[in-house]
Amino acid sequence: MEPNPITNKNILELATFYIGDALCGMDILKVQEINKLMEMTKVPQAPDYVTGILNLRGQIVTIVDLGKKLGLGETNLEDDPRNIIVNAPSEHIGLLVRKISDVVMADPDRIESAPANMSGIQGGFFTGVYKTEDKLIGILNVEEGLKIDSESHRGRHGQFDS
Amino acid sequence: MSIEDDEILQGFIEESLEHLADIENDLLAIEEGGADIDVELVNKVFRAAHSIKGGAGFMGLTVIQNLAHAAENVLGLVRSEKLVPSPEIVNILLLASDELQQLIEDVANSNDVDITEHVNALNAIYEGGEAPAKPEPEKTAPSPEPAVEAPAVAAVEPEPVEKAEEVQPQPPQEEEHPGPAVGTQEVQPEPTPEPEPIPEPPPEPVSPPAPKAAAKKTTKTKKSTPQKADTSIRVTVSLLDQLMNLAGELVLSRNQLLQTITSGDVRNAETVGQRIDLVTSELQEAIMLTRMQPIGNVFNKFPRVVRDLAKKLGKQMDLTIVGKDVELDKTIIEAINDPLTHLVRNSVDHGIEPPDERIRKGKEARGLIVLKAYHAAGQVVIEISDDGKGLDGNMLAETAINKGMLTPEQAKAMSEKERTNLILLPGFSTAKKVTDVSGRGVGMDVVKTNLDQLGGSIEIESEVGRGSTISIKLPLTLAIIPCQIVMTGGERYAIPQVNLEELLRIPATKVKERIERVGDAEVVRLRGNLLPLIRLSDVLDIPRTYYDPTREELKTDRRKQVADRRSRSTPMFKEDIPQDTPEQDSNRDELERERGERRQSPASALNIDVVSTGAMKYGLIVDRLHDSEEIVIKPLGRHLQQCKGYAGATIMGDGRIALILDVNNLSRMAGLTSLDGTDRAGELADATKNSIIKAKDKQALLTFSSSADEQFAVPLNQVERVEKIKRSDIEEVGGRRVMQYRGGSLPLVSIEEVAMVKPLSDQDNLLVIVFNLSGKDIGLLAIGPIDAIEVSSDIDDVTLKQTGIMGSAIIAGHTTMLVDIFEIVQTINPGWFADYSLPETVAESGFVPTILIVEDSNFFRNQVHSYMEEAGFNVLEGEDGVEALNVLEQHVDEITMVVTDIEMPNMDGFELTEKIKNDSRFAHLPVIALTTLAGEEDVAKGKSVGIDEYHIKLDKERLMECVHRYAKEAEAAQPA
Repeated sequence: MEPNPITNKNILELATFYIGDALCGMDILKVQEINKLMEMTKVPQAPDYVTGILNLRGQIVTIVDLGKKLGLGETNLEDDPRNIIVNAPSEHIGLLVRKISDVVMADPDRIESAPANMSGIQGGFFTGVYKTEDKLIGILNVEEGLKIDSESHRGRHGQFDS
Repeated sequence: MSIEDDEILQGFIEESLEHLADIENDLLAIEEGGADIDVELVNKVFRAAHSIKGGAGFMGLTVIQNLAHAAENVLGLVRSEKLVPSPEIVNILLLASDELQQLIEDVANSNDVDITEHVNALNAIYEGGEAPAKPEPEKTAPSPEPAVEAPAVAAVEPEPVEKAEEVQPQPPQEEEHPGPAVGTQEVQPEPTPEPEPIPEPPPEPVSPPAPKAAAKKTTKTKKSTPQKADTSIRVTVSLLDQLMNLAGELVLSRNQLLQTITSGDVRNAETVGQRIDLVTSELQEAIMLTRMQPIGNVFNKFPRVVRDLAKKLGKQMDLTIVGKDVELDKTIIEAINDPLTHLVRNSVDHGIEPPDERIRKGKEARGLIVLKAYHAAGQVVIEISDDGKGLDGNMLAETAINKGMLTPEQAKAMSEKERTNLILLPGFSTAKKVTDVSGRGVGMDVVKTNLDQLGGSIEIESEVGRGSTISIKLPLTLAIIPCQIVMTGGERYAIPQVNLEELLRIPATKVKERIERVGDAEVVRLRGNLLPLIRLSDVLDIPRTYYDPTREELKTDRRKQVADRRSRSTPMFKEDIPQDTPEQDSNRDELERERGERRQSPASALNIDVVSTGAMKYGLIVDRLHDSEEIVIKPLGRHLQQCKGYAGATIMGDGRIALILDVNNLSRMAGLTSLDGTDRAGELADATKNSIIKAKDKQALLTFSSSADEQFAVPLNQVERVEKIKRSDIEEVGGRRVMQYRGGSLPLVSIEEVAMVKPLSDQDNLLVIVFNLSGKDIGLLAIGPIDAIEVSSDIDDVTLKQTGIMGSAIIAGHTTMLVDIFEIVQTINPGWFADYSLPETVAESGFVPTILIVEDSNFFRNQVHSYMEEAGFNVLEGEDGVEALNVLEQHVDEITMVVTDIEMPNMDGFELTEKIKNDSRFAHLPVIALTTLAGEEDVAKGKSVGIDEYHIKLDKERLMECVHRYAKEAEAAQPA
């Protein structure tokens, strides 16, 4: 990835990855690192989209399965998936994705608003879509993806809320 | 204004805040002293104000300087005893110091703050005070509203003047103050003259006092202010040196380690490892020390809080503070501030009643609040107790029911303490109504949440009308806590040691007998109490597993329902899985189990962590128990906040993560209430008690052999020790067998010398069971295998009885003969024991003491009976307390003393003794208790009900000696 600061300062570098079969991207500056640590500790009673927690150099990182979160089904851990570690308010969160793809230079002006549904993912998870010559990249709204899925929680563990 | 040097400014801020913290308390003390001025104290405050003024002047902080100066003026008057510090004056000074604090906390903008009100108020006092002053008499005078300054001044100002005629004929010295300017030329000669001629003084004259004061403070190596997070902290140089040293050590150790790794020297690695271990823990401790602060930092503000609030509410109360020096981690000190304030305010507001109500209730008008901190069991306990109206558990329960947080059935099942602690439930106290009903509890749940975050716990004890005590337990530090590591479902979990009471392992054979079902809950009998059980895997909703230690693997537990709901005895597990492992932890049932022919799989045993959540205890069933470890708490991410069962996570030695369990919430998730009040518990209580009685009545025996196929046993409590010897160690001297033992000769006997049993097996390795009788040691020769077991008292004292053998019992499938070591020794050595048969005199006087023996076990009763009769006493018997009382009624005049067992059905020994001692007819009778277990609690309890002496069952010799002694006394008391 060769950033090109001269031509256009406004260029957006997208780290792209696959969630299920959908190609998604996010601002690379939001990515702290990408790893393939899978030594996760399961957390019973956690929301189902939380795969587990991980020790990242002494920090506890919650791993969110984006596939599950976005409604595309569980990401198979046998499939050599990757964690994209992002900074969330006061913690790090790992986004479990099926596969990492290229870094794409995107011209912000050419980002279009997201359709209501893209590859089976609700449009609300995207801030927009970016078309390259041969691909369509959904730009992930990380904040939305990291929102706590209280709906599913209430359904499963409601009896403990008093 | 220019602030040149950040560092100096920072220093000034810290120091000033320190001064202010002190000023507050000192002012309160001064107020308390009233006319009786403690010059030393006033001086201290004066100096503090003075150094703030000086520092502020140096920094160009005019507003601070002016305010400090005005305060200093007033203090100067107090110091020279021209002004008596009335509550009003102190109030204004306090307000000024509050303002100062605010100014200093926001130094940058301080010069723009309008402080005219404060300065005017102070100056008014100053001017008025220069005129003769007089002590302000009433304490109950309406307090000036803190927010409104001007009227306050008006109220105060005239006071001293109006009573001018009283004291000190000092001519008034009026001075003009142009606005907020403070250029007061002090006319009165002052002990420390500090001329402040110009509003904006040049640095020179002012700077000296500040560093001086600073130096004075530093030597005391103190605290930074608790109010502000993220400030610096003061650490003694010696501690820093120590840290530096340790850091050096660590570096050296690291070098060593690297070297060792390169050279592959395993033996050295061990030493280096130890060294690093040592240095790290020392370093940890030292660093912890730097963070430790006295809790006084928080406590110190409470006199003011209580005073202000009490005034506002028109109540009277004292605050006693104990244990200011107890040190806690800085973060905890900071975090504890709010919850504590809340609790103290609660006590003042809702706990202590208004004076008239208190008088009506027959209490002193002044309430008392005690704030106490102390160390207990590696934790710091803070207690806030008041002698106010207390909490009404029933009311609280009612409210909880009304709020739908509790079903009436649940409420019914709760103990009083649990009801009181309902107030801590989340959502309990948000409604105003609750406050009206209970009189307490605004935001108690918030307090609890705060404390939970600190890893602390809160417990409330209260008595309606008598007051309440709230105890907060806090860890010394947040960073590192000791935890018990357990394993369930293949994952490790940590249980904070704070919550852990004990570990319990129920072997498979005992599961059936110790686990029961009460209502929906499974319980285990633990020392007479029912302990509710929770299976960790169930609460966490993960598949049940169990760990098979023989194969070292984890298996899924396919057994569905733990127990048949209809059956009362609920085997948690199916039993017969024929497997065997010798390694297991120690359990007193263990030996018995291992002796059994048919052994149980250790996998079927239950591992239970008995945890306590303050209000209740319960057992948490886990797959495996690991070590106890010191762990570092890391918070869980936002997505996992909804998992209430965890208090956080930690990273284990292998880099993986273990979740830290929140036992409090776990019990809530499982819907657990303690069983103290349930009908079922009540119903079961008797049964349980009886079973406990049986368990306690079990005799601990040491089994051994003499020949290969005969098994013997002696009561374990008679045995001093067991020695392994070689046959060649035995010496035959003077027709007696002895061996050298602890520098003396130990006489040896064997059973066949007395009893008709098979001779001692002819083998080289022998055992000597050492008894101590009459202060002399004697050894009984035996062979293995030896074992310590417990049997119930089903002892047959007829079939196999003979000299030296008191009876027999079936133990682990063998007929076992119980050896009467007294009889053996007595037969061989008749002169050994003192003669405890009745002395001649008794026979002459015709007085034969009668002893009432109360004992439910036939065997023991017969034993004791025979001893007594042998010795010439008359004997009466009773099988339990009730029967004994009947016998007593019938034979009041004959009975000389009572020898009773403790654990008996219907009425136990304690109750019996109590009845005897409280009945004027029997009260004179000595009561001697016989027990298998004389635990300290039991002894204390026994003494409290009036038991005269305790004896261990079947310690014939001591018992006889004791009985004899009492018989003599009784005889002496006998009317001639």
